[in-house]
Amino acid sequence: MKKRILITFLFLALATFAQTDSQWVLSQSTLTYHVSHPLHQTDGVSHAARGKGVCHAGQCNFLIAVPVKSFDSGDSNRDLHMLQVTRGGEFPMVTVRTSLPEDTSASATIHADLEVQFAGQTAKYKQVPFEQSKQGNETKISGTIPATLSDFKIDPPSLLAITVKNEIPVRVEMTWQRQ
Amino acid sequence: MKARPTKLVASVGILILLLLLSEPLSAQVAAATLTGTITNQSGAVVPNARISLKNLLTGQTAETQADSAGIYNVPNLLPGDYEVSISGEGLPTKVSKVTINQGATQTLNLTLGAVLSLGDLGFSPTQTQGSAQDQARLDRRSHMLKVHQRIGLIATAPIVASVITGTFAGGKSTSSTDRWTHLALGSAAGDLYFLSAYYAIRAPTIPGTQTRGPIRLHRALAWIHGPGMILTPILGAIAFNQKSNGEKVHGIAKAHGPVAIVTASAYGAAILSVSLKW
Repeated sequence: MKKRILITFLFLALATFAQTDSQWVLSQSTLTYHVSHPLHQTDGVSHAARGKGVCHAGQCNFLIAVPVKSFDSGDSNRDLHMLQVTRGGEFPMVTVRTSLPEDTSASATIHADLEVQFAGQTAKYKQVPFEQSKQGNETKISGTIPATLSDFKIDPPSLLAITVKNEIPVRVEMTWQRQ
Repeated sequence: MKARPTKLVASVGILILLLLLSEPLSAQVAAATLTGTITNQSGAVVPNARISLKNLLTGQTAETQADSAGIYNVPNLLPGDYEVSISGEGLPTKVSKVTINQGATQTLNLTLGAVLSLGDLGFSPTQTQGSAQDQARLDRRSHMLKVHQRIGLIATAPIVASVITGTFAGGKSTSSTDRWTHLALGSAAGDLYFLSAYYAIRAPTIPGTQTRGPIRLHRALAWIHGPGMILTPILGAIAFNQKSNGEKVHGIAKAHGPVAIVTASAYGAAILSVSLKW
């Protein structure tokens, strides 16, 4: 009788555990935008992103955010100019939202629908591929968001009257920890 | 002989029968309906959520919107696997998969997750909320620095020209025309230089910004060409007077040429230090 009660209790406990919300926290990140000009190639890097994922009923919702002014291209004058053209004074954050089924954590490549808010505009990117690798409790994600300046209605900056390319791919490298 | 028309009539009859049957056969793939209620994590209905279905085999899509009670209804669906995407006002999009069976009315109730906010990530409101004033400051800074850059580049022409004409105006030259030409070019260079400097100095600074990169060299060089652009015309005026009085340039005025060359060189280096930038 006691054994049966114990088994029932364990079964119920496991079922409850399976329903419990789990969370993901971004522990490390490197975001790099690339700007291309016939005379000049520039990369701006930020390590200041913060992110969180909340899983419920088999679905995980993620939010990642990074201050626009945290991107460093090695030249503060250019960074301030970039901050100005991307309207960073009025919209100081870049946010990325995505929703993934909880079971994707097992696959090597995940395809995410991203909703990116930047420069006061929202752009959606469908099925962006990210490589995923697990190391213990950590999951490393890497991929490139195919962003463009026109997606966010940003006037391309120019050097010597030649504007930069419209494409500003953003390389994403993140380490997430499950909690 | 009599059998032939009978065969023909029979064949045509079979063909007509087949044609008649073919239409109802496709119509027999009875369409299904997907229905359900959209709620949030606390169990409250989410009104007016947008529901989008995509047939994973054919790629065909169907869209609808839930009513004020959170109930949605997607009719006329062919059997197959579908990707269902639901998005509610202020809630994250949820993507789910469903297999639609022939002719059935299937119920798929869905719960949209909670919305994470920037506050959940530990960002303070001062970090996340911008202002029109901050943007105006950045815009003003960029505008003033662009004017600084343009006037600075225009100033290069009279600076170079005054250095060149200085070689004719000085030394053993007694030509007053050369001296006046040199004076005019030097004055134009000085005026444009100080106008350009005004825009650089008056451009608003952005709090919390550390100076990095080539701009540091650009600023450092201003400590050479700035005083140089003040000193050069003073020494030039002394030299001009000495020459106009028929004297040989002497004393401190002899430094006019070397100071001008150092100033012009520092100015050129300052332009080069930031020239390959946008």
